[in-house]
Amino acid sequence: MGSWGFVFLAYGIVWGCIVTYLFALKRRVRCAEEELMQLRAPEESSDHDKK
Amino acid sequence: MKKGQPQKSRARFLGALALITIAFGLYWALVQAPRDALQGDVQRIMYLHLPSILTAYLSFFLVFIGSCLYLWKREKRDDNLAHSAAELGVLFTALTIIEGSIWGKPTWGVWWTWDARLTLTAILLLIYSGYLMLRSLIDDEDRAALSAAILGIVGFLDIPLIHMSVYWWRTLHQPPSILRPDKLPWENVHPAMLTALAINFVGFLLLYFYLLSLRLHLGEVRSEIKTRRLNQGAF
Repeated sequence: MGSWGFVFLAYGIVWGCIVTYLFALKRRVRCAEEELMQLRAPEESSDHDKK
Repeated sequence: MKKGQPQKSRARFLGALALITIAFGLYWALVQAPRDALQGDVQRIMYLHLPSILTAYLSFFLVFIGSCLYLWKREKRDDNLAHSAAELGVLFTALTIIEGSIWGKPTWGVWWTWDARLTLTAILLLIYSGYLMLRSLIDDEDRAALSAAILGIVGFLDIPLIHMSVYWWRTLHQPPSILRPDKLPWENVHPAMLTALAINFVGFLLLYFYLLSLRLHLGEVRSEIKTRRLNQGAF
């Protein structure tokens, strides 16, 4: 492998890992927010009924 | 906990700014910066390698601060900071080792060697991987946070050792080119190389704070889920 081969290998792996982590993190945030919304839903509906 | 609109807009702005800076940094690293006289083009890996390890050091410094504050005040916010920073620190340390290995093959002729700096960096990765495992293995949230805080503080002691290893031991890893006690950075490094390095470092910092804001938000949401479940008697 030539010099540029090593350079592109390093840049490819690093940016590939960072983008994968970013998408995985965004997915974890979205799942957690959905779970929280589900937990909040009964409370919000009971508050609405009281009003 | 719903992330407020201004907070979300700030995070998006930070993400966009990081993306622009990284694109600009890539252009400088791969096109504008001159070829190294000794190593040739493979030296361009430095524009990733140095920002990655400095970002990892910053991350573990935040783990250290968050852990000290948690031991002092016992606030979940500080524990969340330490936990989030540890996860990102592990990512950036792993990337540093991978980049170093790819740089080492054409330069030293080996992918890996048990050099003092490389070994101490691998130990740093193991310590903070252990930190994350420890947290997931202990069910009691307060006990997990307490044990992790102690490990987070002790683990940080490895960083000065890594920095000084090239002075204290005969190592294959070169001594610093930028943070040298005897020369100023611009006396030792070509200005275009220094510019490429600075832009990439700023890009990594912006990206880091964007990722940290997302990870902190995840910690806050998870904490609220646990509290609500406990209140509803789900556990």
